[in-house]
Amino acid sequence: MTILDIHQVSLSFGGLKALQNVNLKIGQGTTHALIGPNGAGKSTLLNVLTGMLKPDDGSVMFDGKPLLDVNSFDINQLGIAKVFQTPAIFPEMTVLQNVTIPVFAARDGSFRMNMLEGFSKQRPLIEFAEEQICELGLEKHMHSIAGSLSRGDKRRLEMAICLANKPRLLLLDEPTAGMARHETEKTIELLQGMKDGITKVIVEHDMNVVFSLAEKISVLAQGQIIAEGSPDEIKGHPKVIEAYLGEAQV
Amino acid sequence: MDMTLNAFTLYILTGLQLGSIFVLIALGLTLIFGTLGVVNFAHGALYLIAIYLAVSINNALGFGLALILVPPILFVFGVLMERGLIQRFYDREHTDQILVTFGLAIVLQELLKWVFGANNIPFAIPSWGNGILMLHDYLPFLEGFVVYPKWRLILVVVSIVTVAAVFALLHLTRFGLVIRAGMRDAEMMQFLGVNINRRFMIVFGLGSMIAGIAGVFGGPVTQVSPEVGMHLLVPSFLVVVIGGMGSLGGAVIAGILIGMAQSFTAPYINLNTVIIYLITVVILLVRPRGLLGAKGVFE
Amino acid sequence: MHNQQSFWQLNKAVVLFALVALTMPLWFPLINGYSGLDTKIMIFCIFLVGFDILLGFTGYLSFGHAAFFGIAAYSTGLMLKNFSDNIIPAIIVAVIAATLVAIVIGLLTLKRTGIYFSILTLAFAEMFHSMAMAMLQTWTGGENGLTGMPTPMLFDIKMQGSAVFYFTAIMAIILFYVAKRIERSPVGLMMKAIKCNQTRLEYTGINARKYKLLAFVISAMYAAVAGALMVVYEPFVGHEFLGWHQSGEVVIMSVIGGVGTLVGPMIGAAFMLYFENVLSVDLGEQWLLVLGLIFMFVVIFMPGGFMEAVDRIKKRFITTADSE
Repeated sequence: MTILDIHQVSLSFGGLKALQNVNLKIGQGTTHALIGPNGAGKSTLLNVLTGMLKPDDGSVMFDGKPLLDVNSFDINQLGIAKVFQTPAIFPEMTVLQNVTIPVFAARDGSFRMNMLEGFSKQRPLIEFAEEQICELGLEKHMHSIAGSLSRGDKRRLEMAICLANKPRLLLLDEPTAGMARHETEKTIELLQGMKDGITKVIVEHDMNVVFSLAEKISVLAQGQIIAEGSPDEIKGHPKVIEAYLGEAQV
Repeated sequence: MDMTLNAFTLYILTGLQLGSIFVLIALGLTLIFGTLGVVNFAHGALYLIAIYLAVSINNALGFGLALILVPPILFVFGVLMERGLIQRFYDREHTDQILVTFGLAIVLQELLKWVFGANNIPFAIPSWGNGILMLHDYLPFLEGFVVYPKWRLILVVVSIVTVAAVFALLHLTRFGLVIRAGMRDAEMMQFLGVNINRRFMIVFGLGSMIAGIAGVFGGPVTQVSPEVGMHLLVPSFLVVVIGGMGSLGGAVIAGILIGMAQSFTAPYINLNTVIIYLITVVILLVRPRGLLGAKGVFE
Repeated sequence: MHNQQSFWQLNKAVVLFALVALTMPLWFPLINGYSGLDTKIMIFCIFLVGFDILLGFTGYLSFGHAAFFGIAAYSTGLMLKNFSDNIIPAIIVAVIAATLVAIVIGLLTLKRTGIYFSILTLAFAEMFHSMAMAMLQTWTGGENGLTGMPTPMLFDIKMQGSAVFYFTAIMAIILFYVAKRIERSPVGLMMKAIKCNQTRLEYTGINARKYKLLAFVISAMYAAVAGALMVVYEPFVGHEFLGWHQSGEVVIMSVIGGVGTLVGPMIGAAFMLYFENVLSVDLGEQWLLVLGLIFMFVVIFMPGGFMEAVDRIKKRFITTADSE
């Protein structure tokens, strides 16, 4: 069952065609990788999906509902979360506060004037946030200031924030960018260990990560999908190799 | 509005004259913001320093010396300000930049008030600039006897020359090229090995110097008292916002627009009080980036 | 964000503030404070606590809050003169008027980043300032200000002297408590998240813009209450209530006290008013210059203000105690 249906999406910046008639179907519960040389339009596509950019043409349907012209926060309320290249967290707040925010967002929606709500009412949500933090192995940092965490722990924290309001689709923008070998391994473990049911779309350059996780791969070059298939099909695909010529990645 | 050609001409001239000072101050503001990314709440105070310096030198040693000394002094002051204070704040949040320049504005204003007193100091117009110009001698389409104060016309000419000089500097020199490129992407400039620090220092000095020129010629017009600085800063900020933050052309167009708006609404006092705010609101709603502002800049 | 806390733990600050405030007439004269100034300090505590909800929580720096202070003050004055000498309807109308204006200004200025916001709030306040001096002269008294109000009454009680002090002090205590409640509610959390990382907040499903507007309006309401009480305290409204000087003073008080701590800005207010009215006797006209220098020092070297200084001193003592 297709959970995300990207249909004929095109976007130009001035004269530059960032996306040209991109068609992509993401199956529910799958881990789908999006690869391609630099400047292919991968991040642009993710930005369209999260509501940051508006395409000139085309449509995007998430679980049957149109996604374009929807605010970023409503997109998240619909069930789409994004992990950024550089971990995007709330640096001046504690880890617990960081994870409590999405928990409240899930309960209260995008806005609620509950200014006088006290701790007793908040208790169950705070406890749920504590559980999420433990599940990602960050218990000992529960009350640490998020900005002081190591990069790997920040990535975990960001994951916890994303997962706390139970998304159905997780977009990951180069989650292992700039990571050392062992950190990358840990991230792969983290993603492999995630509960089934969450659909993952991963934009990646590290082929190790892609082949460890992806069930299906789409290749984007110069704003167009040039190949799509299982990891084996993509490995020796002539068009893919051609697109990557000059890129010392694989 | 029933208006004769005479009246229309006068309104246009007054609009240009009012706009001139806004343009000069806004030009410095937007140059600094576009290049350094700093919102200089102390820019009105720079103008204040300029007019007090100018009036002091003028009343003691004559206008000529004021003209020669004030702009370079302001340039140096701007450089010192940037090196001594502003550069510590490049890595800090924008709010902090605003706070420190605001603090500086208050300190400078209070210092000047302490030294010169709170009252208005008369700024004598030099004899060659004094008096009125017989417009009807120069503009044949005017009927009868039409005059305009000479100094105000001189102010307009000075602004035009200054704006032209700034544009020439930015578009015809290598230094200007680097500044314009830096306005687009400061990080890239650093990677290219350009000494950004020196450029920032010079740009800040330049912006201050323009305020200095504005002070020398604008002093007799805007009066010399401590409140003048902040009083001019607010509309100048609006000129920058309307023109587009970081856009020099925008500052010029918006400055003239605001000057005209104030001039033409002069007979309608109530409208005159709020016209610049109304224009700002309209621009905010219809074209948030400003007339010539770059898309995505702080939207 | 902690486990079961007692009433005392949760409300330590409010209780302490209540004690300090209600006993003020006793200890204030000991440091040369005159009665009347204590009332003014209470009024500005209200103003500053609300302002910190905007600046301290969301990080948005408004240079135009004098607009709400002034609009409320003029409304209160006009209500007392023309409607009833009872302060309650006057205060209510004043707050409503300022709130409506705040909603409009908030909608216009909060779309943009903090820089635009600061510039635009300054501009709009100046607009009201100009209007008060010119086109609304018949109501505001123009340059001379609004005078001729009757003695304000709280139903049957004459609002003079001590009565005004205790009324404003109680209001300050209540409103401080409300601010503390907001701080530990989900709303407070979201507002503070705006300052940290607005983008991440939006991507986590929160409509940051609405929370910003809420913070702005709440802070405007606090400013309005302060403005209204100002007129109850002293039956005069000047156009300078709306000017950038007034807005600027609020900013200075916040920063010197310690942005984001709620209690810090109140201390900043007390300090600045004390400085202006008591210490300035020795300094003369230059008190604002000295204060400006202190302000700059704080921004450059100790951005957390007085509360940061307290924190640093505490840490010093704890480490020296540990090492012994």
